[in-house]
Amino acid sequence: MTDVPAEKRRPSHPVLGIFSFLARRSPLALGLVSIFVLAAILGPFIAPYSMTDTNLAMSLQGPSAQHWLGTDPLGRDVLSRLLGASRVAAQAFLIVVVIGGVVGTTLGTIAGSRGGFIDLVVSRVTEILQGFPTILVAIVIVALLNPSLTNAMIAVGLAAIPDFARVARSVAIQLRDREFIEAARGLGASETRILFGEIMPNMVGPLIVIASFDGAQAVLWEASLSFLGMGVQPPAPSFGSMLREAQNYLAIQPSLAIIVGLAVSGFILGLNLLGDALGDYFGEARR
Amino acid sequence: MISFLLARLVGAVVTLFFVSALAFFATAFAPGNPAAVLLGNMATPERVEAVTRQMGLDQPTGIRYMIWLRETLSGNLGTSNLSFKPVNDLLAAALPATLELALASLLVAVVIALPLGLLVAQHRDSWWSRPTSALVTLGISVPGFWVGLILIVTFSVWLKLLPSAGFVPLSRSVAGNVRSMILPVTTLAIYLIPSLVRFVRVAAIDVLRESYVDTARAKGVGPWAILLRHVAPNTLITTITYIGLQLGVLISGAIVVEVIFSIPGIGRLGMNAVLNRDYPVIQGVVLVAATGYVAVNLLIDIAYALIDPRVRTG
Repeated sequence: MTDVPAEKRRPSHPVLGIFSFLARRSPLALGLVSIFVLAAILGPFIAPYSMTDTNLAMSLQGPSAQHWLGTDPLGRDVLSRLLGASRVAAQAFLIVVVIGGVVGTTLGTIAGSRGGFIDLVVSRVTEILQGFPTILVAIVIVALLNPSLTNAMIAVGLAAIPDFARVARSVAIQLRDREFIEAARGLGASETRILFGEIMPNMVGPLIVIASFDGAQAVLWEASLSFLGMGVQPPAPSFGSMLREAQNYLAIQPSLAIIVGLAVSGFILGLNLLGDALGDYFGEARR
Repeated sequence: MISFLLARLVGAVVTLFFVSALAFFATAFAPGNPAAVLLGNMATPERVEAVTRQMGLDQPTGIRYMIWLRETLSGNLGTSNLSFKPVNDLLAAALPATLELALASLLVAVVIALPLGLLVAQHRDSWWSRPTSALVTLGISVPGFWVGLILIVTFSVWLKLLPSAGFVPLSRSVAGNVRSMILPVTTLAIYLIPSLVRFVRVAAIDVLRESYVDTARAKGVGPWAILLRHVAPNTLITTITYIGLQLGVLISGAIVVEVIFSIPGIGRLGMNAVLNRDYPVIQGVVLVAATGYVAVNLLIDIAYALIDPRVRTG
């Protein structure tokens, strides 16, 4: 199917192959992303304290044996809240990738394989959508509905559509006239079958790369919008809402803002590095 | 050339039309009767009904949209539900601070990122090239607003050199204004620099592979002369388009930075309006920001066609 250079011969199972490649090419990316994925899944079970119960007597403590990463202005354990925030960020990731991935891939595939007028319309719409200030879309959606994680992430998901559409479209155009598509058509396969059975499997690699980069953007936007009060609402923990609370106490306990910021930066850095490494794996000559 | 610009103009108008419709309908279908909000809890139902009629809110949504569009096109954006001031006045008061913040940050970002990107491209095989791109990936991954908080901790809390809030308008004191804008402008510039460096690097490497660069090299032109005379101008052209795409980041970043540093600009006005459901102000802020975004992109397209004749004829 795809041209694989001899030195990149992969182990028997493709998923195993990706992991062994990543472990060699970018152990930092694999490590960082694994930590946050584990935190998102196991967070509620391994958190040493409650994520929401307040204890004003213990407010704004620095790191200690009791509270490894200290406490926030309401005396809540920062480590426990970071575990909860990882789960929220992972949800943001999933919402954005599902919206952008499903809508964008569908639009791009149809535009690329059909061409003509449909292609023109889809290309123009994605061009307009691309680069349009995400925050304005978020403001409109939050004004119409309510501030919440899902509503904020709908705006970010809309912004992700052009990325997925562009990649899906270019793969579909490359494959449109290739022999194996012609062969399938000659054997009497329906257009839908060609789309799902022949064209889409060839997009998986490039789409995973985009998902990784747009996932990093999703985590960044979740933090930004929650910081502005348009995302996750208190008392639920999120990287952005924790930084918003920390800002008022920068003079008293700067370590709080530093710790939370390092955590969210680590997650985003891991996803960006993962995108770079996956791009190498799938032989993508990306920007 | 004319048809190229005409197509761009039509695209810009269509975009703005959609945005305005979105801004109107999002707020028109939002829960709560603005008349009741305006009158407060003490109003009688009759009074609410009278004001509802007076405000035209009993009309069908389609007709209200036509009226709203007519008013907006004639430059009347309504009255704030919160401060009862005209939205026009609120926007006019907030615009200078936002423009100053955005333009200064963009200038700083370009002045730093363009030479840096060119240098990294020129010396892409040297020992410091890899650490630099690692630094760029790190820069892309760090949330801009967190950088702002770290700058406050460093320069306001620890070193006590610069204020963390308290915007001073340019009209009151130039020195005070510069002092109050150093941290916000630095924060917003850091939003832009990493991705800009990455883009300039890739664009410059593309140019360095062009045959006219080989020709110049074969004629004995030195590497620095090639960089300045051939690579820099050709890189600048594509970079201008990229800055147009980055405008969304600039607008989003400006809003966040205004909130962090309490700058009374469009962004803070908009965020207060969102959190208080002040719909006329939300519509005004979204319209002004979207118009700015579309207008600048249009200007970039025109500038692009003027600088690079290939766009016009192609």
